[in-house]
Amino acid sequence: MFDHEDELFDRVVEHLKRPVHVDPTLDGRVMAEIGDGSARQPGPAAAAWHWLVTPRRFSLSPLAGMTAAAAIAAFLVLRGPATPTGRPTTFQFVFVAPQASSVSLVGDFNDWDPTRSPMTAARQAGLWSAVLPLDPGRYRYAFLVDGVHWQPDPTAPRAGDDEFGVPSSVVTVGGT
Amino acid sequence: MGIDDVGMSDAELVRQVLAGDAAAYAGLVTRYRGRLGRYAVHMLGNREDAEEVLQDTFVRAYRSLGRCDEPSRFGAWIYGILVNRCRTAGARAARRRRMFVHDEQALDGPTGSNQVERADLDELVRWALRRLPLDHREAFLLKYVEDLEYEEMALLLGVGVSALKMRVKRARDQLRIILQEAERV
Amino acid sequence: MSGRAFGLAAFLALAVPQAAVAQDPRLGRLDAETRTAVTALLDSARAGGLPTEPLLDRALEGAAKGAAKEQIVAATRRLAGHLARARDALGTKASPAELEAGAAALRAGVDSTMLSALRRSRPRQSLTVPLAVLADLVTSGVPADTAARAVLALAPFVGDDALIEFRRDVDRDIALGAPPAGAAMVRGGSILDAFSQGDRPSNPPPGPRRP
Repeated sequence: MFDHEDELFDRVVEHLKRPVHVDPTLDGRVMAEIGDGSARQPGPAAAAWHWLVTPRRFSLSPLAGMTAAAAIAAFLVLRGPATPTGRPTTFQFVFVAPQASSVSLVGDFNDWDPTRSPMTAARQAGLWSAVLPLDPGRYRYAFLVDGVHWQPDPTAPRAGDDEFGVPSSVVTVGGT
Repeated sequence: MGIDDVGMSDAELVRQVLAGDAAAYAGLVTRYRGRLGRYAVHMLGNREDAEEVLQDTFVRAYRSLGRCDEPSRFGAWIYGILVNRCRTAGARAARRRRMFVHDEQALDGPTGSNQVERADLDELVRWALRRLPLDHREAFLLKYVEDLEYEEMALLLGVGVSALKMRVKRARDQLRIILQEAERV
Repeated sequence: MSGRAFGLAAFLALAVPQAAVAQDPRLGRLDAETRTAVTALLDSARAGGLPTEPLLDRALEGAAKGAAKEQIVAATRRLAGHLARARDALGTKASPAELEAGAAALRAGVDSTMLSALRRSRPRQSLTVPLAVLADLVTSGVPADTAARAVLALAPFVGDDALIEFRRDVDRDIALGAPPAGAAMVRGGSILDAFSQGDRPSNPPPGPRRP
């Protein structure tokens, strides 16, 4: 294991392995703190509600304005209290494209079918949104603008393997 | 305490605690206090910090006992909590510039301010350990003192086995140099 | 039953599994050549016990984006390979979602030993989110070793929401100019600090009832 000729080193290791005295009253202090019960933690639902109502900040991509159709993408998540395991979570996707006449949300969750999740134009000019229930998992997706231009979500993680020459984004949905 | 834990396995004690018998946890504290305390003392360099971290570790472990997936491996599981608490405490102490020396130049040889007096082995050992970088000290203690396998260390520290072997080797080499310097003083 | 009718019935019985695959309407979105190649990959994956849905999704993504047949088949085949390696690392009981996330992590450059280590650290809880977060961190520029270390340190103690939040925070820090490795270690460290000081992250993994 180590150099047997190094006697000082061996002595050091042997010394380190000796039992170390720990204050025996530690046991009592630990049990007292446990028995105190003063640190009851909030339950998962309360923690998730706090998460839901905490304002979220969105960073806008410097890519904004690069194309006529897609300026900025923002990704909003609105979800109910945390689900125990396996139940779908509702996600809202938002895309800002003032010049677009149509935007579709396309991804693993709808078999990459551009007709399945057309986004709805909101009253505010250029704001498109779609709401989907998503089971726990990881999904690749992108926005299809005017049926022609593929745009990733600049504020979401990239899929990493842009094997088709057009980048995609990923969304991960928790279940525990 | 009312508990004879000589014949009770970790898994049995954990199950008792989870079933509502909080007093059974004392058996686990008594069982692991010494060994966890040894690591904490050597890692942090002083008993006061070590006992504070130790108490916190045991309390955290109790509160999250439901997440111990394999009660028979309670020891390894609580070890993970201890290692992380020691890292936090160690980093905090480093910021206070109280104990730890990260200055690479300090390893080149004893200077006037770092020169160690000829002292007993305990003082020498503590001084030598303090001069190791935190991650090297951690790896060295887990391997040579706590006798963990590299695979166990990899799980605890989240570092690959190859990287850990390198850290342990470097720690060993550095300690040898440090000890040789001390011998010449 | 006449011999001929029996023969026909037998033929139909044998042909049904293939017909079921070939008749998946989604495969109709592929051109004939691509469909044949992808169907063969799906059959092979199914025979090997791998999930086919991620493979079909990959092929459909390629079709939707107008990719050539060669690209679609290569991408699907590559994913099948990663799914197989993920299954080797995570075990045969890994769920399709875990395998898909594991494949993404492998594709990003994470070593398969890290997947196995993650499995050991969370033996009874889903690894889908930890693996997905790991893949995303590496894709964002965090070195694979650092990302794996951070996720391995966090996964036993925090739940999926906290891991996703961690990844978002790291991404935000990187976007603001922080070095990826540093961002991951600082954010991960602060979560562990908060955990050890008693702040409970949202949605810790479920387990037996707490004392």
